[in-house]
Amino acid sequence: MAAPQIPNLNTLRGRTRLRGGLRGRGRGGFGPEDPQSEEDQDAARDKIIQQTDNDASSSRMSAVALGYLDDEYARAFIQGQIPRRYPIINRGTYVRTTAIDRLVDNFLCQEPSARKQIISLGAGSDTRFFRRKDVKNVVYHEIDFPSNTEQKISAIERTPLLLNALQSTLPSPADLQVSAEKTALASTTYNIHPLDLRTLASPELGGASSPPQLPNLDPTLPTLVLSECCLCYLPPEVTTSILQRVSNSVISPTAPLALIVYEPIRPYDSFGKTMISNLASRGIHLQTLKKYSSLDAQRLRLKHAGLVDGQGARDIESIYYGEGEEEWITPEERRRIEGLEWLDEVEEWRLLARHYCVAWGWRDGDGDGVFSKAWGGVAGSRTAAENADDEML
Amino acid sequence: MSDLDKAIAQLRACRPIPEIQVRELCYKARELLIEEGNVVGVNAPVTICGDIHGQFHDLMELFRVGGEVPDTNYLFMGDFVDRGFYSLESFLLLLCLKVRYPDRITLIRGNHESRQITTVYGFYDECLRKYGSANVWRYCCEVFDYLALGALVTGAATDLEPTEASFANAESEASQPSTLDDVEIEILNSNNQILNRFPRPKPSSDSEVGSPAPNRTGPAGTGASGSSGGSSANRSGAVLCVHGGLSPLIDSIDKIRLLDRKQEVPHEGAMCDLLWSDPDEIDGWGLSPRGAGFLFGADIVKRFNYINDLSLIARAHQLVMEGFKEMFDNTIVTVWSAPNYCYRCGNVAAILELSEDGSNAGYAPRSNGDVGRRQERQGLAERDATGEHAPGPGRRYRVFEAAPQDSRGMPAKKPVADYFL
Repeated sequence: MAAPQIPNLNTLRGRTRLRGGLRGRGRGGFGPEDPQSEEDQDAARDKIIQQTDNDASSSRMSAVALGYLDDEYARAFIQGQIPRRYPIINRGTYVRTTAIDRLVDNFLCQEPSARKQIISLGAGSDTRFFRRKDVKNVVYHEIDFPSNTEQKISAIERTPLLLNALQSTLPSPADLQVSAEKTALASTTYNIHPLDLRTLASPELGGASSPPQLPNLDPTLPTLVLSECCLCYLPPEVTTSILQRVSNSVISPTAPLALIVYEPIRPYDSFGKTMISNLASRGIHLQTLKKYSSLDAQRLRLKHAGLVDGQGARDIESIYYGEGEEEWITPEERRRIEGLEWLDEVEEWRLLARHYCVAWGWRDGDGDGVFSKAWGGVAGSRTAAENADDEML
Repeated sequence: MSDLDKAIAQLRACRPIPEIQVRELCYKARELLIEEGNVVGVNAPVTICGDIHGQFHDLMELFRVGGEVPDTNYLFMGDFVDRGFYSLESFLLLLCLKVRYPDRITLIRGNHESRQITTVYGFYDECLRKYGSANVWRYCCEVFDYLALGALVTGAATDLEPTEASFANAESEASQPSTLDDVEIEILNSNNQILNRFPRPKPSSDSEVGSPAPNRTGPAGTGASGSSGGSSANRSGAVLCVHGGLSPLIDSIDKIRLLDRKQEVPHEGAMCDLLWSDPDEIDGWGLSPRGAGFLFGADIVKRFNYINDLSLIARAHQLVMEGFKEMFDNTIVTVWSAPNYCYRCGNVAAILELSEDGSNAGYAPRSNGDVGRRQERQGLAERDATGEHAPGPGRRYRVFEAAPQDSRGMPAKKPVADYFL
């Protein structure tokens, strides 16, 4: 039987290798062990980040199995037994998914006949495309490391449910193309690009001299970029550079563009400090956390990224409990959620939920204000609670 | 060395004892616990502890900070199991100590001492993993059903005899009153250094103007003046210890005594409420976000304490980042004893020491055994019940942090705390 206390064995897998690598370097020439090269160490670090996707898909499966979320596609990305997570993790997974769905759906339902585009960074085994397969006129792009895209494409190929869902969006089955290495998938509705995001950064930060061409990507369409726990693993200057290039050259500078990020915040209190050190001991470094440490810092960051027409941010706690103008989840839905499992750890839940946020920002460009219409009514500006938060700093 | 002492030694090294020994231990524990009432009488001095949650290494740290059994008289307010990796070792060690020194350690039931909760929050899986079958889990659950629901501490001194501890830093020392009389609250760190100290507010004739008194302003004729007679009348009201809190179905301690406790924790009713409820800044009663028990406000606590001649309710159940939290004009305190809860929360832990009534100059002898308990009890019967509120006991909190993971050569599985990735 799966033990819920040790849910992350998969993400630990890369760790041994990393430690081996560091030991090799630290005591270079000491003993017979081959010192590992810099590249090997970088690869080991990357592998850990790639494997955070296992964690996300396990959490999603656990929440689906218990009835928090309705997602018939989640099972296809889980091998073996259905993992079981603690109630606070299930609830957090639910709030994260529900909040981002709301923002995405508000965008997708604007003028259904107009074409739109979604780019999901570090999408991993995310199922959002399949869950929204019935929405017309959307081109969906997912970007991830080749090792992750390969896994996803193989899951799609072996799972009729996924394959049929995908093909139902296409004019003909022949429209679907998979690369020979099975790491890239292209079609008129859904694309998976095997790409290390860092190649999108500027050349001086290690990126490609010109941004890679992504098949079927239309730089003129209103485009929504999603980053669910993705950009936060990169150095802040690399993240900034990627966003700049996306907003100026991957997407035309005049096209409507928006970004939703889901990331940890508040690194300076004792929970935040413990989070940093716990994740660091697993080889996971939240590199942008201190730079974008508060809701306001997130809004400002979006504004500086050229998303000048509006920015909003809310932490998961206020998304879950918000009422009136701040309501994301109806009282009835909250009652349903609270009836699914006994959640004894109320204080811990609030603590955890305060340390994650959803932030969103947009520019309308030359368009007719699709994002302003979609998100103008979503409360996301500075709150009184944030003032108190700032006083801690 | 008796088998029991051997088992204690083995468990203290964080190694589980064989299933057959667990069965025997649980049998003995039940024989002992069945004799206890729903509300156990405990005499000060006593050290009151909150949730442990299987954080074995931190329980060892607690004993280092608070003293070993039987030198220190302990009262644990439940939630021994679940969440941490060593629920089994933690609970069995406490149970061994209970069987070995029944008068020096009191265990009461928390909401996690339940079949249903332990299958969700880890203890069941841990037993299965460590023994290959659910037998040990079953034995332990049978013991859970016999644990008392509360404890009543009597004979605690109103004033703390100041320790000879030094101050942790000059700043906190400088802010202290010049006299050391009538210390009501003292906070120490794990190195036995004073972090803070609060004197009891005095009658106006004897007031130290401008002293940093805690905001405890009882009605006239209560509090500091209530026990009158100066230093000799040093007897505080009793302290009720319970895991969660109060119940709308319970208005007196005697009603707790009438419950049939020997069962799985029910989903509702008085027994459930005692283990699940929380104090909150509300009037009267409110719905609990936990889905069991209730929220209760200051008016409920003050009335209950008055009716039952209590000076304080000590409870656990809620994570508090500072380890303890007094509420409602110091009429109720939450004590939390699991530092860095779930290896994630970054909180400190605390234990609460109540010292013995001042009949022997306030020094609480940490002797083995049972000496003087009977006399103390008689003292309780004579207790002056004329004051509206009994004066609160002097309270010494010892605050401590999580033990280092690889401490003392005990096995320590590297914890993996869950985050959203």
